[in-house]
Amino acid sequence: MYILEVKNLKKVYTPRFGGNQVQALSSVSFGVEKGEYVAIMGESGSGKTTLLNILAALDTPTAGDVLLNGRNIGSIPQKEIAAFRRDNLGFVFQDFNLLDTFSIRDNIFLPLVLARKPYQEMERRLTPIARKLGIEPILAKYPYEVSGGEKQRTAIARAIITNPQLILADEPTGALDSRATDGLLRLFREINEEGQTILMVTHSTKAASFAQRVLFIKDGEIFHQLYKGDSSEEEMYQKIADTLTMIATGGERRG
Amino acid sequence: MGRFFYWKLAADNIRKNIQVYLPYILTCTATVAMYYLMHSLSQNSGLGKMSGGDTVQMMLSFGFVVVAIFSAVFLLYTNSFLIKRRKKEFGLFNVLGMEKKHLARIMMYETIYIAVISISAGLIGGIVLSKAMFLLLLKLLRFEVQMGFEISGSAIVFALLLFGTIFFLTLLSNLRQVHLAKPIELLKGGQVGEREPKAKWLLTLSGLASMGTGYYLALTAESPIAALTLFFVAVILVMIGTYCLFTAGSIALLKLLRKNKSYYYRPNRFTTVSGLMYRMQRNAVGLANICILSTMVLVTLSTTVALFVGVEDVLKTRYPRDIVISSYGITDEYIDNLGATVAQVLENHNLVMQDPMEYRMLSFVGIAQGNEFLTDEPSLNISPSRLKTLCFIPSEDYSGLTGEEVQLAQDEVLLYSQGADYEYESLSVLGRTFSVRKQLNELPAVTEWDISGRHFLIVKDMDVVEEMYHAQADVYGEHGSKLTYHLQFDFPGDVSEEGEIAFYKDLRSSLPSGGVSRYIESREAVKDEFYSLYGGLFFLGLFLGILFIMGTVLIIYYKQITEGYEDKERFAIMQKVGMSREEVKRSIRSQVLTVFFLPLIVATVHISVAFPFITKLLAVFSLRNTLLFATCTGGTVLIFALFYGLVYHRTARVYYRIVSM
Repeated sequence: MYILEVKNLKKVYTPRFGGNQVQALSSVSFGVEKGEYVAIMGESGSGKTTLLNILAALDTPTAGDVLLNGRNIGSIPQKEIAAFRRDNLGFVFQDFNLLDTFSIRDNIFLPLVLARKPYQEMERRLTPIARKLGIEPILAKYPYEVSGGEKQRTAIARAIITNPQLILADEPTGALDSRATDGLLRLFREINEEGQTILMVTHSTKAASFAQRVLFIKDGEIFHQLYKGDSSEEEMYQKIADTLTMIATGGERRG
Repeated sequence: MGRFFYWKLAADNIRKNIQVYLPYILTCTATVAMYYLMHSLSQNSGLGKMSGGDTVQMMLSFGFVVVAIFSAVFLLYTNSFLIKRRKKEFGLFNVLGMEKKHLARIMMYETIYIAVISISAGLIGGIVLSKAMFLLLLKLLRFEVQMGFEISGSAIVFALLLFGTIFFLTLLSNLRQVHLAKPIELLKGGQVGEREPKAKWLLTLSGLASMGTGYYLALTAESPIAALTLFFVAVILVMIGTYCLFTAGSIALLKLLRKNKSYYYRPNRFTTVSGLMYRMQRNAVGLANICILSTMVLVTLSTTVALFVGVEDVLKTRYPRDIVISSYGITDEYIDNLGATVAQVLENHNLVMQDPMEYRMLSFVGIAQGNEFLTDEPSLNISPSRLKTLCFIPSEDYSGLTGEEVQLAQDEVLLYSQGADYEYESLSVLGRTFSVRKQLNELPAVTEWDISGRHFLIVKDMDVVEEMYHAQADVYGEHGSKLTYHLQFDFPGDVSEEGEIAFYKDLRSSLPSGGVSRYIESREAVKDEFYSLYGGLFFLGLFLGILFIMGTVLIIYYKQITEGYEDKERFAIMQKVGMSREEVKRSIRSQVLTVFFLPLIVATVHISVAFPFITKLLAVFSLRNTLLFATCTGGTVLIFALFYGLVYHRTARVYYRIVSM
């Protein structure tokens, strides 16, 4: 049973004032199973971000379907889309997307507030998450007062506090130093081991090597995929690096 | 590099950033224009000649000082916001190899461009606007106004100096910012988080205290003359209170709201409360200024409108009858003579008297001390509120006025008190004590109000009045009062204006004098004068009102728009996290609504508190139609709010468009 199913997704950008059409996604199909940790890799311009935006219901596809838990995202009326996103998806962004006007605590509460949850429940949910992510001491601080790693952990807390079906992460390590990156990736793995489904878009080999499965996207298509299986992170890292070299040098497709 | 390289670069920079610079330039222009209008009006020679004009000019001078301070604070703030957005650009120049002195040069040229554009556009705009408003308003009001359009040289010079200095200061602060920063910090400049505002409890409490005291003083003020100084103190206190509460109180209140978890953690309030906190921190001083200026304008506008609309009322109060004749130092013979002369002149003009009223009266001033009125205390250093005029009228004349038979004992009086109520059972003056048999609610023929408040005493007969006359003449000597006689009458409704005036002129030349000073007044004859005076004030009120509404509303509008660009990212994040468009709209609406209407609401509260006092003050101007004044005040506030509402609607829409782009 797939939690997320993507079928023949196609996205063509038509410039408003004529000009050439740009095909961001030509035909993308894949599925993510419940509890899976999937990384999507690709170079800049390969269509990663477009894909993520469509999955997040922030953008609409030209053709094809996205099914979350069997429900077609495209069929959700515009009015409910925000609530749908809030209840089913959690986001972690490269640049954190925290609000400067809110304390760390309030940033994490934001999706729950929007979902009209009572305050006691918010607190109840926050306590274990904050402990796990090690952000208890900074809850009262403001985003500009904390480090990048702490910001990203705040973003993760905000993403998981709603118990989403799926976490979408867009280059979550992109703005972090190597120590913070390690910490974050370990966190992702822990969360995943607790049963959380994660879909991450990245071009960091290291980040991808933590995933159970890596999809390679090139020129708007899924080009290749790798299963981690029982291999260690180091072995996975090597495999990914080989694949990337192959893609870059234009090797044959294999599946 | 060519000589004009930096000039060109500076111009290019402005052009590239036109999205943020256009509102800035327009705001500067509007501020300059507003300043010029205020200043030039305070110098207008026609206004100076208008009666009461010098007071108005003094108020205007105060007004333009406020506008000057307001402009400086406001433009400096707007500029700091602007430069924050552009730090990245400067960082890039810096990284690309431009030295800081080159950056300084570019910034200087940019400031010069903006200063030249906005000051000249502002001055031209101000001059054109004042001309246009004079033309429009003179056309609207069909009466003679003794003020005309003028170009004030000194206002131009002052505007140049003031805004030159302000722009120079903005340049200095920009240079400092760029000079202190490292290139990498410049590159990130736009992203530095704003500190969370601190709640200043002490300031909040002192604001509450001073506002409360001010309100209390205004509400408990009794007679206008006594309260005038006190009222001024109240105004100052309320102003201080307004500033404190807008700057510190608003943030303290928002913090309290945030502390209340079950209130705060609701979708709309969550974003609104936190957003407002930052918004108030940036805008509080500006909003407080707008609030105070709005109050001033609304008060000016509603009183001048009331006076203008109520000019007939004023005339009726001031002149209870078409013809009013007052004589001082009378004898019985004089009264008979006067009656005969009036009858003769009436006959000559083929006119008849209608509803005549006549009475004799003695009035002199006493210093109130409980129910005693002193006549021997030196009048220096006495609170004006204790000065009361006592007016004695014989009961036979009162009966003539009211048609009511009154039987009074030797020491009994009927008492009619103007202004404050008289709270005692008896009244002592010059060794006599009168017991008050009844208090009267009105006294026909006496409609005009004295500034100090008067007590009218209806006494048994003329003998008592004369006794009092001699007693006070002994005490006051040559400053003593004289017995007076008042005759007032109307003409039938069909008498023409010219006929009345002709009669009035004729009567004036034929009245007997015989050592009696007498004053003849005709309502018709002074009508034009009243219209001109109150019309002038009305015009001025309108002029200032329109000017001010335009100024403030434009300023708030552009400010909100510029903030929209800042908030764009914030709302994008919230949408990603799951905020719906409807919720974004609602949150924007309540924030913009607060910023827009808070000053207006507070101004309305100020006016309501000042209302009773202003009503008393207007009574001195012979306008006692409280309903009319209430209507005018309500109407003015309503029109003001309506205009505000329109601009708010537009602002919220543009803001939403920016945010959701």
